Amino acid sequence: MFLTLKELRHEKIKFSALSLIIFLIVFLVLFITGLANGLANDSGSAIKETPAQTFILQKGSQSRLNRSNLTNSDWDKFKSSNAAKLSVTQATIQKAANKDKKTDIAYFITDKNSFLAPKNQSGEKIYASSKLQASGYKVGDKFKDSNTNKTFTIAGFTDKESYSHSPVIYLTFKQAQGITMSNSFNAIALKKNLTKKSGYQVITKQNLIDNIPGYSAEQSSLYLMIGFLYVISLFVLAVFFYIINLQKMKDFGTLKALGTKTSYLVKHVLSEMGILSGVAIILASLVTYFIQLKMPASMPFSLSFSTLLATGILFLVIALLSALLSLIKVIKVDPINAIGGNN
Amino acid sequence: MPVLELKNIIKNYPDGQNVNEVLKEINFHVNQGEFAAIVGPSGAGKSTLLTIMGALLSPTSGSVLLNNQDIGQLSKKQQTDIRLNKIGFIFQNSDLIPYLKISDQLKFIQKISNKNPIDSDKILKELGLGHRLNSYPNALSGGEKQRVAIARAFINQPDLILADEPTASLDSKRGHEVVKIIQETVHQQNKAAVMVTHDERVLDLVDSIWQIEDGRLKRVKA
Ligand SMILES: Nc1ncnc2c1ncn2[C@@H]1O[C@H](COP(=O)(O)OP(=O)(O)O)[C@@H](O)[C@H]1O
Ligand SMILES: [Mg+2]
Repeated sequence: MFLTLKELRHEKIKFSALSLIIFLIVFLVLFITGLANGLANDSGSAIKETPAQTFILQKGSQSRLNRSNLTNSDWDKFKSSNAAKLSVTQATIQKAANKDKKTDIAYFITDKNSFLAPKNQSGEKIYASSKLQASGYKVGDKFKDSNTNKTFTIAGFTDKESYSHSPVIYLTFKQAQGITMSNSFNAIALKKNLTKKSGYQVITKQNLIDNIPGYSAEQSSLYLMIGFLYVISLFVLAVFFYIINLQKMKDFGTLKALGTKTSYLVKHVLSEMGILSGVAIILASLVTYFIQLKMPASMPFSLSFSTLLATGILFLVIALLSALLSLIKVIKVDPINAIGGNN
Repeated sequence: MPVLELKNIIKNYPDGQNVNEVLKEINFHVNQGEFAAIVGPSGAGKSTLLTIMGALLSPTSGSVLLNNQDIGQLSKKQQTDIRLNKIGFIFQNSDLIPYLKISDQLKFIQKISNKNPIDSDKILKELGLGHRLNSYPNALSGGEKQRVAIARAFINQPDLILADEPTASLDSKRGHEVVKIIQETVHQQNKAAVMVTHDERVLDLVDSIWQIEDGRLKRVKA
């Protein structure tokens, strides 16, 4: 550490530049990770945040809610307090007073008091996810289903649930008459694990989310970018760090000749890289955190503390891996070169 | 009793199909309080001999006795430990660590050693470097750098000092001053020292002179 701190102090510009590169890459990784998580929530949080674990779909519906059609005779086979019927219908609403402004939404239609329904759902009163507020709706506002002209009043907002990037409006089957077919629905949600039931397609919650239109395409392309960023940073950091250390090989030889153990120098190189990337990661995390606070609600961005921590640790590992190339060089340097420098 | 004694040292380097016999049956000794010089033409094997004395290189055969311990065939780890605790090096270009301040050059050695540290700043002051304690090496003149290197070589109280052409990068006046400092410190602290040099003008300061030619060493002044 003695050498490390002295060197960092003396070579401020060189090491700040390296730290800046790490900072920028970590920031980019965190930003895209936040975007990927945000889009994932925007796509499937209305499903993800439910206590359901398993979904029963019609056989042959390819894990897609909109391709599944179940009836009350199916319901009879699963009926229990841990089961709930679900219909999801994507539709368009407009303010009762203003016909020009339309908003895409998803109706989540369940039985009153089922575990998928918001509490207090009754009569004409309906609840919407708070995401609808971004389109200018307030508690007490009336809206009209554009297709059927049915009018509802917003009684309150739930959390930021979203389905396929649209706000969710919760209805009971009774309220939804006319909007969706009566006596049929898309799926049965179960609170427990179930792997198989003959005559049905049984899938996990994550499986259902993965098959929400657009979800997998968005997520896989963003995670591909993140993966590439990790690989790129591994190489970029390895090369930069290698060049910096290459300039110091003569000093490493001298230090070894003076009796410095190779293990001491290995620790020196690792702690140097560790400190530089540690500082950069902490700064990038802070900046990302503050940007998240300032981000408009309509921007899908979400970064939990655990994701932040995991990204930071993963990056530290990448940075230390990138020091490997330099380490090999440092281990190999022969102290004999310190003598006879004239040859 | 000699501090360092070489017995029948042979060093061969492979040279294609043949072997290059760089050192041939070398015998050498240096006593406590003695400042010895080794002179010889370029390519004679001076650097090779000094690296064997300094536990940086193992001889092909023969023994290297430092305080009667054979350091000729030690492991790399043991060699490192001997260099840290028993030997002080003064290199040709002083080879100070560029990112350490002058006083830290010495403190670093004390840090990695287990010996009780002595007052390193005091030593630097005695060598006329009191105003340079907080400077980095690039601010120092060649002579000043070599004085720091001398202080660094002595700081861990080694038994043996090895100097590799310490005047090579200095003009003759500064060169003579630097060797004079080595001589005085060796005598004051009663150490054994070996200096490899080209420079005939500093030979008035040494106690014994050895000449190496074509891999053979002989004593020319006792
Ligand atoms: N690592 C090595 N491999 C092969 N030959 C070497 C090596 N080091 C030195 N030699 C040879 O040993 C001889 C003596 O070199 P050196 O000890 O550097 O001489 P000096 O320091 O007296 O100029 C030279 O012929 C040189 O080519
Ligand atoms: Mg030489």
